[in-house]
Amino acid sequence: MKARSRARGESDLGRPAVKTNHNHGNGLPPVAEAYHHHDHAHGEKQSRLTKYLLDRCHTGSILHSILLEKDSRRIAYFAVLNLAFMLVQFFYGFASGSLGLLTDSIHMLFDCAGLAVGLAAAVMSKWPSNTRYPYGYGKIDTLSGFANGIFLMLVSVEIVFDAFERLSHGHELKRLNELLIVSILGFLVNIVGLTAFGHAHHGHGHSHGHDHGHSHGHAHDSPSHNHGHSHDRSHKHTHSHSPSAHSPAPFTSAATPTAPSPPAHAHHHHDNENMQGIFLHILADALGSVAVIISTLLTKFYGWSGWDPLASCIIAILIFFSAWPLVKSSGAKLMLSLPADVEFSVKETLQEISGLRGVVGYSVPRFWLQDPGVAHADAHEHEHKHGHGHDHGHGHGHGCENEGHERQQKVLGVIHISAARTADLEDVRERAAQFLKGRGMDVVVHLEREGDRRCWCGIGVKGS
Amino acid sequence: MPLPIPPRTPTPPPDDEDQPVGLGVAGAPHSYNPDALSPTSATFPSRGFGSLADPTPPLSARSPLSSAGLESPYGSLSDAVDSATPASGSENGRNPFNFQTQQYTLGGKSPAKSVCPSIIKSSPTVASSYINHQHFPVPRCSHRPPPRPQIQTQQHLSPNLPRATPRPPLQLPASLPIPTFKEFRHSMTADQKYRALWCFGHLLVAGYVQASAHGSMAMTALSHLLFYDTIGAFVCVAVDVGGNFEVWKRSTIKHPFGLQRAEVLAGMAMAVTLLFMGLDLLSHGLQHSLENVGGHESHHPDSDTHHERISPGEVDIAALAAIVSTLVSALLLKNHARMGKVLRLAPIAALPSVLSNPSHFLTLSCSALLLLLPLLSVQSYVWLDRLLAFSIAACMVGLGWRLGWTLGKMLMMSYSSPSSSASGVEAVLAELRADPAVAELEEAKFWQVNYGLCQANLRVRCRGAGDEEAGRLRERIASLVRNRLGGAYGGGLGVRWEVSTQLSLERE
Repeated sequence: MKARSRARGESDLGRPAVKTNHNHGNGLPPVAEAYHHHDHAHGEKQSRLTKYLLDRCHTGSILHSILLEKDSRRIAYFAVLNLAFMLVQFFYGFASGSLGLLTDSIHMLFDCAGLAVGLAAAVMSKWPSNTRYPYGYGKIDTLSGFANGIFLMLVSVEIVFDAFERLSHGHELKRLNELLIVSILGFLVNIVGLTAFGHAHHGHGHSHGHDHGHSHGHAHDSPSHNHGHSHDRSHKHTHSHSPSAHSPAPFTSAATPTAPSPPAHAHHHHDNENMQGIFLHILADALGSVAVIISTLLTKFYGWSGWDPLASCIIAILIFFSAWPLVKSSGAKLMLSLPADVEFSVKETLQEISGLRGVVGYSVPRFWLQDPGVAHADAHEHEHKHGHGHDHGHGHGHGCENEGHERQQKVLGVIHISAARTADLEDVRERAAQFLKGRGMDVVVHLEREGDRRCWCGIGVKGS
Repeated sequence: MPLPIPPRTPTPPPDDEDQPVGLGVAGAPHSYNPDALSPTSATFPSRGFGSLADPTPPLSARSPLSSAGLESPYGSLSDAVDSATPASGSENGRNPFNFQTQQYTLGGKSPAKSVCPSIIKSSPTVASSYINHQHFPVPRCSHRPPPRPQIQTQQHLSPNLPRATPRPPLQLPASLPIPTFKEFRHSMTADQKYRALWCFGHLLVAGYVQASAHGSMAMTALSHLLFYDTIGAFVCVAVDVGGNFEVWKRSTIKHPFGLQRAEVLAGMAMAVTLLFMGLDLLSHGLQHSLENVGGHESHHPDSDTHHERISPGEVDIAALAAIVSTLVSALLLKNHARMGKVLRLAPIAALPSVLSNPSHFLTLSCSALLLLLPLLSVQSYVWLDRLLAFSIAACMVGLGWRLGWTLGKMLMMSYSSPSSSASGVEAVLAELRADPAVAELEEAKFWQVNYGLCQANLRVRCRGAGDEEAGRLRERIASLVRNRLGGAYGGGLGVRWEVSTQLSLERE
């Protein structure tokens, strides 16, 4: 397990595929590098098919980058499966004149479109930042998850409306056998998807559980699980941490178990909302198929046409409530609100900032969390660049394990500090920046002279 | 982990308290909360300064108690005055104060500069942490309440202040509670209540159109559009009411930009809704046409309506109601106004007020066309109905996608100027780089927070040493960004720019 998780960690290090390739040479000892490289190239448990396809396609092409990542690879495979199924369904339906098959193939088509969007999000989220997207594309995962969640909620509302309409119109199910076959087939396809994505969306294979109902249970499981490993790993590979990088960890763990400092916050379960959204979507589809199967069977045996609306309503409610947490968590992320633990440690840091010599006041402290993907790419690059030197990013035991989950996310932001009249601005800025950096915060420090009222932030007005 | 608790019990020798004379006193006076003096609070300063001092590790005076060595005892034992560590701490703790007073009396910038690089940087660490230990273990805090940071300021202010007078602690931005639904409802003003009522009216209209559709696909499409507008109207009211609360606009640590970004989020949700409705219409339409083309026995209600159209009067009423409600919402509630601001489609942007908004344009043109439909012959009616429905659905999908993308960009922390100046950011960057005072533009991040607020965060290395010069450069950057990207300053269309610049001097 350990070895495997390490291997996983390693290969995950190579996540920003194109970029890291040439970074690898920098710091690692040759053995590690070989190991690293090997893992990077052939992933953790890529199937033979993937390897074959990877060999066939160009490095750097879109297809290659899709296949290289576990998430996008899964989405892609499932989308292909879905598409194939849809085509078969469509042609068969067309040939036999079966309306049910045709209708279902339309549904499948939309599913495929959704998967395509998810795939695009998964690929785009790895793109590096640029002028247009100064903080990278990492949020697109969350965005896609959010959209998917909203979509599902709407679907459930629509199902309920449809059910009522059918109930009131006394709509009867027709062509029961055909319906049964179609929905069973659809269910099978979705089950395949569920098993594929189920693992992807819980701790990436760390905590195996086949009970897909409880994503939370697993997610909470995996951080604690990882603790040990990651410590172990990060010590092995990134050797010399400077004292400052290290100190926060023992401190927080000793003094305030409830309040880790920013570098060390632990519980951000399943960060990848994109995967979660897709998972939920497939789950909803599978549930829908189940509902149809059950209701058709019941209708067959009992002949009451109310089963179908009833089953749809239940399913709709299930879908709605399973989508709600996703919408909430991804919404909070998109709002840039800080999780409670980070908020707490940021407050502490602010307190200490005001204690820095020469600092008279601050205003507009605005901090938000870096996206996990970007955080990783960043830390990775950093690590290599600095040759394992003082690396505030890593080494608190929450290193880059677990594919982006427990990876340390920096706090980004901006703060305006007003410096005492007698202080040297340059010096204060330097120290404040270093201080914040030490806390895992990458913050733009806008420094002003005390009493200077020209800035929009209103420091001077408030102070003195 | 549970280490800190036991050492707490021994109260420190009281005489220690007076030791650092003018320095510790300043920390004491204000009404500090003794509960705050938990081990955590006491440890933090040392940690903070430890890491702060880090860039100069090879410092000789400091090396024996480099942060690792110093901090661990403090961290684990918290403020228990241990025999060994405080002693060394106090020794080192005095030094820095000398330096500091020196620095202060000299006052000038250059001496301070020359002194501070090494010793001052590191030593206040020790000093302040030590002082904290001297002072604060006294109060009874065997239990450890969640540390309230607010008070800590006082603790370290004392040794660090260039001025002798104690100053009030810096206020953390207050954390504001998120209103519950009840509070939300009660905070509504009369005006807002009327607006909310109107939303229900809008909903009724939508329901009416839906009910009177009778299988006319175009009418169904229109009713979908109206439902979408209704949701938009509700969101409008909700956003408006949200503005009653302080947490909406004020920045807190938890919500760095207030809750206002929720507007964008709601817009995103609405874009998804639009997309969903369009797809829903499409799939239903496809289904229907499949049924008809396939020549199967189709559902009874549908097969009838396709051949027997709705009475013209009904369509007229429905379409008129749709137009009226849309106009009322648009003018009174400013429905979709925010979205219209960020999403301007070139072909219709030139149209007069309400029509220039894509959502309103869609609804209004659709209902106007519906008014005309009954005038047509039966045969062309069926086809036109279907055509209209499909085109509306396609428009909805397209608009939903565009809207979602536009808002998604905002949510992805990007900035794209809504109108003509497409390469605004690049132009600004180019101009900045051309500025003679700018040595290097290390980082420039422009992004939009919500509909009315943008941020520009820059890191600039500048030439020239002067303070004033740096200040001028900062102002220049800010005004450049505002003028170039802000549109009319403070105007209705313009967004506010928060420009922050981290200037570092390049010294030769």
